[in-house]
Amino acid sequence: MSVDSFRTFLDVLERGDAITRITDDVSWDLEASAITMLANETDDRIPVFESVRNQRSDTNARLVGDPYRGPQQCPWKWFGHAFDLPVDSGPAYYEGMIDRLHEPLEPRMVSAAAAPCKEVVRTGDDASLLEFPWPYIHQGDGGRYATLATLVAPDPNSEWGSWSRHRTMIHDSSQASVLLLAGEQVPNRYYFEYERDDEPMPVALTIGAGPAVESTAEMWIPVGRSEVSFAGGLRGSPVELVECETNDLAVPATAEIVIEGRVMPNERLDEGPFGDYFGYMNGPRRSMPVLEVDAITHRREPYVPFCVEGSGVGYGENSSSTLAIAAGGPDATLGLRIAGFDVELAAPWPFTSRTVWVIAVDRAYPGALHELANFIFTTWGMLHIDFFVFVDSDVNPLSPRAVIEAIALHADPATDFHQFGVERMPKVPLNIYQTPDEKGSATVGTSRTKTSKAYIDACADGDRPAQGIGDRDARERARELLVEAGVPETAFEPAHTTGAER
Amino acid sequence: MTAFRSHLEFLRKTDDCCWLERPDSPSPQVIASEALRADGPVLRCTTNDARVDLVAGVYGGVDGLSRGNRFPWSRLGIGLGVDQEPEYVDVLEAITDLGDRLDEHDVTYVERAATATDPSVRELGFPTPPDGTWPRLTLGLLSVGTDDGSYWTPIHGTVLDDNTIRARVPDAITDRFARGDVVSVALGVPAEALTATYLLTVTDRLSTPIEERRVGSTVPVIPTGGGLVPSSSEVVLEAEIADQQPETRSEKREFWERIVDGTTLTLDVTSVFTRDDAVVPFTPLDVPLADDLQLVALTLAAQLYDRANSYWGIAPVEWLLLPASGRLGVCVVSTEMLYAGFEWQLSNFLFSFSNCYDTVVVVDDEASPRDLGQVLADIWVKAHPSRDWLFSESDAPVARLPTYSRDGTGARLYVDATWDPRWDEEYIAPRVSLTESYPPNLRAAIRGSWSEFGFDTDPEEL
Repeated sequence: MSVDSFRTFLDVLERGDAITRITDDVSWDLEASAITMLANETDDRIPVFESVRNQRSDTNARLVGDPYRGPQQCPWKWFGHAFDLPVDSGPAYYEGMIDRLHEPLEPRMVSAAAAPCKEVVRTGDDASLLEFPWPYIHQGDGGRYATLATLVAPDPNSEWGSWSRHRTMIHDSSQASVLLLAGEQVPNRYYFEYERDDEPMPVALTIGAGPAVESTAEMWIPVGRSEVSFAGGLRGSPVELVECETNDLAVPATAEIVIEGRVMPNERLDEGPFGDYFGYMNGPRRSMPVLEVDAITHRREPYVPFCVEGSGVGYGENSSSTLAIAAGGPDATLGLRIAGFDVELAAPWPFTSRTVWVIAVDRAYPGALHELANFIFTTWGMLHIDFFVFVDSDVNPLSPRAVIEAIALHADPATDFHQFGVERMPKVPLNIYQTPDEKGSATVGTSRTKTSKAYIDACADGDRPAQGIGDRDARERARELLVEAGVPETAFEPAHTTGAER
Repeated sequence: MTAFRSHLEFLRKTDDCCWLERPDSPSPQVIASEALRADGPVLRCTTNDARVDLVAGVYGGVDGLSRGNRFPWSRLGIGLGVDQEPEYVDVLEAITDLGDRLDEHDVTYVERAATATDPSVRELGFPTPPDGTWPRLTLGLLSVGTDDGSYWTPIHGTVLDDNTIRARVPDAITDRFARGDVVSVALGVPAEALTATYLLTVTDRLSTPIEERRVGSTVPVIPTGGGLVPSSSEVVLEAEIADQQPETRSEKREFWERIVDGTTLTLDVTSVFTRDDAVVPFTPLDVPLADDLQLVALTLAAQLYDRANSYWGIAPVEWLLLPASGRLGVCVVSTEMLYAGFEWQLSNFLFSFSNCYDTVVVVDDEASPRDLGQVLADIWVKAHPSRDWLFSESDAPVARLPTYSRDGTGARLYVDATWDPRWDEEYIAPRVSLTESYPPNLRAAIRGSWSEFGFDTDPEEL
């Protein structure tokens, strides 16, 4: 049975001995985040902070540090358990996710009485953002942040709205600034429709909506389709939605917290600096659109999951890097196949999950890689992705060793490195290789100056060195002997992983 | 000096060795290959008969692509006596020292541990790879005695019958002997000895006898029919150079043959000496993270590190790594950025002193070789996609190790993943890390309560 809420996801983690419930008083002011970062880096249990110091009310909210983080050797593990999918091989998990995405399920509306997120309802002046212990995550951040939040926004092409993820900086009881970067669907709608018409955009910021919803918020869903129906497909059951109190949007009924409000036109508040997914503090402080709060509903003693951004680079995993590998990768693979590209698997580079992607592909015709890069750079890869590495279809993009070997041996500096749209392409201002002057403060959130992107053709064209010796039976027997001798079974790349037969 | 069997004991104590009884099938070569692929521990295959014990991964394994307390240089560093948890640069310097020239001979003679035995070479039980017909010996040390002294090189080969070995040795050594001469082959030698043979071979320094190198004063030796060999060697073979040199183009090569030319010899073994319960290293060839590959990676890195820090009057390079996962097609260097443009100067210096690779990645001096994960992020995050990926014209000499085919010339690439020294301080983004994102008293308090919070790991390892 797939999990249907954040709380049942915590049950999955609990059964897997993957969480620790900390009952000591812990502060939202750096302490919870520092503990989480150390747990992320040491690949230890996920911390649930049962007692958060200095809360303003009797809400008794609990923090959860990077609940979606998977083990460093198998980031998709807990998502696989949550969705009843295979977890012993990355490619097998990907194919399982893709099968589910092929069968979306429309959501089901429930009454407020049946919706746990309505256990507590506060509207108008009674609704206060300061009721919750939003964490102050890194020294130098511009403020306290909601980092694992799914923003539900209107979508004229979808009955259920558009769902996406945006970090949000809390300012006071009724205002926050939301990072909206033009190029993504919801920000485009805000900047180029609502704001031009001087209309506020109604939204609902949902916290703790569970792994299926959070996964689809990570995905690039085609216009006219709905994230929530794909979330139903992942779960294998319809997502239950409930109407908002103050607008026409529908939100997940099991969400821990729902913040209803409006993104105001032509109003800005400071946003950042913030230590984001690059693993560096990015600045400077910018001006971003304002979320004006109209109502807050929540479960009793709600969980407030958060992500310590920046700790998912290098060896470390956090919720963002895991979502990229466990949800973004399967979605991208499916999307490229549907677009007509003969892609075996597309996955983010595990050491910096948004900047680089590795795509295993057959080069079907001359120019195919250029066309594939062009397609992605102009669509879902426009903002965050700077590089693609193309490898042979029998190379596993989830295996860093195989990818490094491919780049080192098969990417010819003379012919296989292709800079793309040199200094002509849009760029998010979150990067660190542009100076603050270059980033500027453009009104729609992208950098003032343009940048470039690149792709690397690391395909071997039939000249890939051996990855092992012996036939399949001999290798499997060898692994059995090694396991008997004490080598953990998880150390082995599964036999059915692509490339294992070489 | 650490005898080979003592080296194995140290590895066992660091919980980096697994044992299994040698099976009839599959070949130990296959088991070793799978252990390397799994980034697994050192593998020891034991026997209860006259065959030697076999050990793989003593010098290889460990790709550094996941967090751990083992690193690509850890096992060799332990064997070199650097430390139980050796620092990378200490290992590089220890390797370099082995090749230093000495003004005076300072050789220590110690009685040979291996004694004469009845078994033939075949009865020693070297493993036969699944694609081979004959047993294969690898990671051997060839000793050639001359009036000037003894010369050591790597040797590997196949055992054709009871006493015949078809062997591969560096071309450069063949001037030191003639047909009918006796040479010696030592297996299971101290790490210093084997490392020195690789270092001197891949850096083209085989013209000086080992008595005039630091390794000659470090490793106790004993004269044999062929030349000096390490006294603690597990197995010593004495052999005559046979008359015929068979054609062996289809034979597999050890990795040093990608750097220098090799040649084929036929050896008629006349004597076999073994220690009690002898144990010898072996490696599968041409597979990821193999021992021969890692030995070449570390010895070449040691040479390049030493050269780069001996050129500018100061030592700007913090460390230099040739990742075995890239089969030496990429060089990563961490350096202080002395001035604007130094990254160009350093990269091209490194291209000048090795023809293995055509890609150099330059990272800042605060990068750690123990954190290759951070390096593999910074390449893409710190380097601007157009300004910091810099290509030469396509008229540079082609690199030796990448596999794409080119005719004579090609381009070189260096990636500048450092902060631009021309940038104002305010442009430099602080890293997100435990150290830089949280105050010290908070970090100390958390570490103090770590186990009470319900965590199992050791936070001090970070």
